[in-house]
Amino acid sequence: MSATSLLADVHAFGAAALKEWRLLRRYPTLFVGFLFWPIALPLAYVFQARGYAGDSQAALDAFAARAGTTEVAGFLFLGWAAYMWISMILWGPGTALRTEQVRGSLEALFMTPVSRLVILFGPLLSQVVWAVWMFGIVAATLALVFGVDIALASALRALVVIGVAVPALYGLGALFASVVLRYGEVSALVQGVRGLLTVFCGMSFPIVVLPEWGRAVAMALPPTYLIGDLRRVLLAGAGLAELLPSLAVLLALGVLLCGLAVVAFRRTERYARRGGSLAQY
Amino acid sequence: MTARGDGLAVEAAGLLKEFEKGRRTLLQRLRREPDRRERFRAVDGIDLAVGRGEIFGVLGPNGAGKTTTMKMLATLLEPTAGSARVLGLDIVRDAREVRRRMGAVLSDGRSLYWKLTARENLEYFAALYHVPAAEQRDRIARVLAAVKLDDRADDYVERYSTGMRQRLVLARALLPDPELLLLDEPTVGLDPQSARDLRDRVRELQEQGRTVLLTTHYMEEADQLCDRIAIVDHGKVVALDTPAALKRTIGATEVVHLEIAAEDGAPPNGGFLGRLERAGQVAHREQREGTLAVTVHAESAREFVPAAFDAARAEGAAIRHVEVVPVTLEDVFISLTGRALRE
Repeated sequence: MSATSLLADVHAFGAAALKEWRLLRRYPTLFVGFLFWPIALPLAYVFQARGYAGDSQAALDAFAARAGTTEVAGFLFLGWAAYMWISMILWGPGTALRTEQVRGSLEALFMTPVSRLVILFGPLLSQVVWAVWMFGIVAATLALVFGVDIALASALRALVVIGVAVPALYGLGALFASVVLRYGEVSALVQGVRGLLTVFCGMSFPIVVLPEWGRAVAMALPPTYLIGDLRRVLLAGAGLAELLPSLAVLLALGVLLCGLAVVAFRRTERYARRGGSLAQY
Repeated sequence: MTARGDGLAVEAAGLLKEFEKGRRTLLQRLRREPDRRERFRAVDGIDLAVGRGEIFGVLGPNGAGKTTTMKMLATLLEPTAGSARVLGLDIVRDAREVRRRMGAVLSDGRSLYWKLTARENLEYFAALYHVPAAEQRDRIARVLAAVKLDDRADDYVERYSTGMRQRLVLARALLPDPELLLLDEPTVGLDPQSARDLRDRVRELQEQGRTVLLTTHYMEEADQLCDRIAIVDHGKVVALDTPAALKRTIGATEVVHLEIAAEDGAPPNGGFLGRLERAGQVAHREQREGTLAVTVHAESAREFVPAAFDAARAEGAAIRHVEVVPVTLEDVFISLTGRALRE
C-alpha cells in the first residue's frame, strides 16, 4: 500500500468517526437513556451488599482484603460501567454492519477502494463517546453521592487504562462483527459471552473468590484487566508503573484479538464475495 | 496492476457465476460431509465488449442474470469461471484499483443514510473513495449540481422523494469522477417524470465522455438510452447489437396485435392461424376466455390487416380488436425466447 493510499485511509477513518458521531447526534434521547442505567444497575448491587453485610466492620474488612479497597460503591459502579461499555462494543459493530447490510448500504461501502479495516473498525469509534459518557456519569455519581474522592491524576491514569484496553475490546467487537456478517445473527453468541464475562471478569465481586480454574479463565479475558486496573488507579491510587505488567498483557491481547478480527473479516468478505451474502438479509 | 491500453471499457469472456442453494448445517461442516447442495447458474458464460464512451445496455427479464453480472464487474462477487477486465484491469486481481476508477449504482435510496443530509452522505463517501480532502468540497458541489440536487444539499435524506434519493445515489457513484459507471436498474420504482429526469442525467454523463453500462428490463429505456444492447436470458447473451439492428432482426417493420373470436363464441381454429401465417409471421398467441390474442410481425400493416379480416371471415371468426405498433425490443425478445420480458 502506498503512503498516499494509507493517508487516504486514515482520512476515511476520521470520516467514518464523524459519520457515526453525526448519526448519534440525531438520537439525543439515547444519551438520556444511558444517564439512568449506569447509575441504577450498580446502585441495586450497592443496596444488595448493604443488605448482606449491614454495617459490619468484619464484612468490610473481608471485602477490603479481597478487593484491595473499602469503597464498595466505587468497586461496583466501575465494574458495571465497564460491563455496560463492553456490552455496547460487543453489540455495536456487528449491529452497525448488520444494519448496513439490511439497509443495502453495505455493498456501497464494499464498492469503495477504502481499506476494509475502515469498514470494520470505523463504526467502533462512536463507542469512545459512550465510554466517556458512561465513565463520566459513574465518576460524577461516585463523587457526588458516595463521596468517593477521584483526583484528576487518577482520572487521567484511568483514561490511559481505557485507551490501552481499546484494541482488545475493539478486537472482540470486530470479531463479533465478522460473525454477524457471516451468519446474519449473533445474539445467542453475544449473550453467551456476556454471561461468561459477568461470571469471570469480576464485575460485581473480586475475582479472588473464584476457584483456581475460574481465575485462570478470568486472566484470559481482557475485561478482567480493564476492570481490575480501573479499580486500582481510581480506588487504590495505584500509579501506571505498578500496572505495567497488566497493561502489557492487555495490549498483547489487543494485538492478538485485532489480528484475529482482521483475518476473520477477510475470510468473511471472501465468503460473501463468493456467495453474494453482502446484500442478503 | 495489469492495465491494458485497448479501447474497451468492459471486456468479459465466458463470465460464469454459480450459487449453491440452501446452507450447509454446522453438523455437516463438522462431519466434513461433501457439499451436496444443488447449484444454480445465475450467469452462464457471458461475453461482453463495451467500448469507451458508449451507453451499453443489458436488457432482460428479472432473474436473467443482469444484476449478478453487474456485481461481478463491480468486484462485489467473485466469478465462478471466466474473466472480466474493467478499464483494462482484472476484476479479481486488481479489484481495489477497479473500485477506485469506477462508480456504480447497484442499489436504491435505502442505501443512503437517511438521518444525514445529502452533503454529509457525500462527505463520508468522498473519504471512502479517497477524494483528496482539498478537492472534496468542489467535488461534492459538482456531483450535486450534476444530479440537480445542489439546492437541497443540506436537507436530511429522509425528507427526499424516491426520485431525489436515486439521484443522490447517482451523485455518490460520481464521487470518484469515474471513467465507467455501472447502473443496475436505475429507474426501477421511479415515477415517469423522475425516470425521465434520471435518463437525462445519464445522457449528460455520456456527453462528459464517460462510459455507462446499465441493466434494465424496461425496453423503452434501453431503446432510448443505449448505443448498443445485449439481450440476456437465463444467464446467456442471446443477441447483441444496436437497438435499430436488433429490431431489424425480426424481419418486420410493424407489429399487429389482433384479438379474434369465432362467431359461435369458441376460439378460432388452426385453419385461421394457417391463413394468418401466409400474410405475416405469427410471433405469439394466447387463448383468453373464448378469444385468441395473436401478435404478428408484418412487413406492412396496410397489407396484412385486410388479409387478416379476409382470413377471419373465411373461417367464421370475427376480429374484435386490432392494434398496429412499431417494432420494439420486446418483440425482439419474444422472437428470441418465445416469452415476454415481463413474464
